[in-house]
Amino acid sequence: MAIEYKKSLAVFTEFVGVEEAENLLQWLLKNPKGKINLATCEHIHAANLQVLMAIKPLVAAWPADEDLQRWLAVLEK
Amino acid sequence: MNALLEQFLSESRDFLQGIGEKLMQLESDPESIPLMTELFRFVHTLKGNSGLFDFPEMTRVLHASEDLMDAVRHGRVSYSQDLTDQLLDAMDFVGILMDEIETTGRIGNSHATNSVELTKSLRELLAAASTESEAHAATPHGISDIDHPSVDQVLEEFAAVEVDFANDTTASFGEPAFELNEVVAMALYRHATGGARVFWVEYIPEPECFFKGEDPFYLSRQVPAVLWHQSLLQKDIPSLAEMDVYSSQLVFQLLTIATQEELDDIFRYVPDQIQRIEIPALAFVVPFGSEHDDTIDDEFITRTVGFINDGNLERASHSIRTMLELSAPELWSSSLLRWAQLIIELEPDNALIQCALINQLRTHEPLDLVALTQDISSKSASVDSHLPNADLPHEHDEHEAINSEASHTDATLMASFYTVLTAQKNVLSVPASPWLAGRMKSVATTLIATYRATHQVDEIEHIEHALQQALADNTSQPLLAWIDKVLDSAPELSDIQEAAPIEMPIEQSTQEVSVATEEVILDPSSKFGRRVEDTSPHFGRRAEDTTTVVSKTLKVDQEKIDRLMNLIGEMVVAKNALPYLANRAETVFGVRDLSREIKAQYAVINRVAEEMQDTIMQVRMMPVSFIFQRFPRMVRDISRKLGKEVELVLEGESTEADKNIIEALSDPLIHIVRNSLDHGLESPEVRVAAGKNATGKLLIRATQESDRVLIEIIDDGRGINPNVIKQKAYEKGLIDESALERLSDEEAVNLVFAAGFSTADVISDLSGRGVGMDVVRSAVERINGTVGIESEVGKGTRLYLSLPLSMAVTNVMIIESNEQIFGVPMDMVVETVRVPRVQLSSIKQKQTTVLRGRIVPLLSLNELLALPQEQVPNEDDEFATLVVRVHGEHVGIVVDDFRETVDIILKPMSGILGGLGGFSGAALLGDGSVLMVLNPRELI
Repeated sequence: MAIEYKKSLAVFTEFVGVEEAENLLQWLLKNPKGKINLATCEHIHAANLQVLMAIKPLVAAWPADEDLQRWLAVLEK
Repeated sequence: MNALLEQFLSESRDFLQGIGEKLMQLESDPESIPLMTELFRFVHTLKGNSGLFDFPEMTRVLHASEDLMDAVRHGRVSYSQDLTDQLLDAMDFVGILMDEIETTGRIGNSHATNSVELTKSLRELLAAASTESEAHAATPHGISDIDHPSVDQVLEEFAAVEVDFANDTTASFGEPAFELNEVVAMALYRHATGGARVFWVEYIPEPECFFKGEDPFYLSRQVPAVLWHQSLLQKDIPSLAEMDVYSSQLVFQLLTIATQEELDDIFRYVPDQIQRIEIPALAFVVPFGSEHDDTIDDEFITRTVGFINDGNLERASHSIRTMLELSAPELWSSSLLRWAQLIIELEPDNALIQCALINQLRTHEPLDLVALTQDISSKSASVDSHLPNADLPHEHDEHEAINSEASHTDATLMASFYTVLTAQKNVLSVPASPWLAGRMKSVATTLIATYRATHQVDEIEHIEHALQQALADNTSQPLLAWIDKVLDSAPELSDIQEAAPIEMPIEQSTQEVSVATEEVILDPSSKFGRRVEDTSPHFGRRAEDTTTVVSKTLKVDQEKIDRLMNLIGEMVVAKNALPYLANRAETVFGVRDLSREIKAQYAVINRVAEEMQDTIMQVRMMPVSFIFQRFPRMVRDISRKLGKEVELVLEGESTEADKNIIEALSDPLIHIVRNSLDHGLESPEVRVAAGKNATGKLLIRATQESDRVLIEIIDDGRGINPNVIKQKAYEKGLIDESALERLSDEEAVNLVFAAGFSTADVISDLSGRGVGMDVVRSAVERINGTVGIESEVGKGTRLYLSLPLSMAVTNVMIIESNEQIFGVPMDMVVETVRVPRVQLSSIKQKQTTVLRGRIVPLLSLNELLALPQEQVPNEDDEFATLVVRVHGEHVGIVVDDFRETVDIILKPMSGILGGLGGFSGAALLGDGSVLMVLNPRELI
């Protein structure tokens, strides 16, 4: 599983594939205050990016991957 | 290059040729439904084939062509010459791609743009025509109600494309807009002035891209040398709960100094979804910072501008530096000054820009980047032609050049503009033709595009109005009147042209325009549809240069080759007559010299004939891969059905043999492979229990052994138990009890080739009907091949087929018996010996002899042929014995004498003689006599 859902935190690890997008959206809708942890994430599929951009959840930890971090800067509120 | 690709290329060329021909025929008979259907089928097949390979550029164009042809076929789009032009262009383009694939094995990145352009213009044609047919609901073709939804669909599908096209590149894509900070902007400016090309890339993935396995984000991240980027959503998502996560709303924008090739390569699958614009260096020059009441005194501005105009950049720079030290760095004016400094450093000659920038300190007007740079450049073009146009892209492609130049409403452009108008007027003045409506539309499109290019957008409405009126009345008068009105109000053309400064890039575009207009005037009937600023790529490989494209392969009807083969056979026979002639010259006419000369001549003819025969044979040669290639799939299917695990190994696929042999081999081989899978290889459990690898191995190997091809099918299965075979054969009445005892293991195993033999108790759909191996054997023997089997219980089975390379010419040995001559195929002859009478011995009333420690049974040919004569020995009382190999055993056939070997064309006997056993056929000899060729296999 590339996204691990905890109580109010979704932990993204390594490559998050396209199939995660639906679950991610559902989880974020169910947990409006849910945060995301991207620390060990290397890439997220565009479908996930779209969900994150639409909802803009709080980012608990930014990716260590600098390139990805720059791209995801759009999530900063 | 693999065989599939080769075949694709060769086939596709035929298709292209066919498409070209059909298009030509359609020109003279545009209503022909069969022609259109065939044309559609060609394009359709070609597209389908191209989809097998990784050539998105080719498939895209073909797909668009296919859609267009489909529309034409169903009468949704009416046929026009413009359409033919477009399709021919598209096919030429495909031809070019094929050339490239053939030489380099792939398609270069450079074609992606052309591919998109072509696809667009094809789609545009489709969309335009659909609009037309929609407007006139009752077209001659009569669109039925059932067809309507599809028309709507087409419209919907291409509406976006059409808008996109009409506005050139900037409809669904926005103008480049980026918010940079000063550091990044300065870096970009440095790159741009330093010779790098800065590209603005906007990537809007199509909504359904996720279903195609694309990851646009990943793609965007692959772009190298990105200095700025951002991702956006196309619009706010209204209700998150109803958001479709699998419909892309994303937009990616980036600024990069990657090369055009790199970008084209990254986005080669989605070239229609990206917009790539080169950004001129000066577009980055924008001061940042808070712009509140910071005042720089006029005196400084005047002084600095003075320095610049005097060319004293050092002092200007110094003055700016001093001013910078006095101002707070975050101020807007400070940022502006830093820019001014940078421009002085990097573009010292560009005084105009420098002054303009510093003058902004006085006006305090926010700088509009693109407008500012272009404004200045157009001024520089008309005011002072010596100033370099820094904002013009260095090596911009035509497309962008026109784009950027389109905004200059300077004199040169106006000159071109009026030329275009005049040309369009000429087009309309051509006497009416069936295509009047299409012609008017194309003229209107041209005019609209021209007006858009010259930024006179207001006029477009008038043109459209005039077009509507013209279409309604079915006369070009309204449009002509409109053009006349504009031309009348225009200044004298010559004045404008004289006033135009000599500027290279603009000059070029003028030439292009005039070339295009000339075409229109000279050949209005075929070219009227071209928009003057037409940027679509041309692949003009028409009649004039088709000679350079010569296909290297030749497709020839097999019958012709067969005929050639027969002829060379006759030639060989005829050639064989020469030695007889030489002989007669010497013995009958007693002219020895002539005989020698004939013989010398014979040697020459012989050499040429043999070479010819060889070459023709090679033409007919095919690699065994032709039949091998179907095995992987077959083995996979069958083994899955049987629940077995099989690893198939193919060897020697490039081994070649005559086409007939290869074709005749196909069925027997399939049979053998099925048998091996069904009977030979065990299920994984049995194999593991037997201590073998769970996966069985099936090896199919082809090798060439002198003039024969050897094909082996080897499995490591359970092998064949000779006792079981013997028992089965006995039960089926194939052998009697004595044979049960007598047969060796090897002979027993070869019983599987006996007619009606089957070991399987249950008939499956794979094998077991008892028509297996004997069919294989007779099929192989029919092509002069032999088949054998070796097996070891528990270890596996080896089945081998030995086949002649070719069967057109047979080499036979002539023997003499009872004062007649007969032929024996050389491939059966092992050796010829002369056995002295003393070495003959009798075993069980049968003659035998011992040859090299081996007992060889001897048979008299006269006896075999039921001739009452005894065989005649030579003077030394030796019998001429021909040792032949029959079913793997050596048998001696005693004849009267040996003669030479000859090449003959063996003709199978037909009619009453066809049922005669013991002969494989007859042949004509050089002296005109008939040679009967024996078949020892049947004889013994």
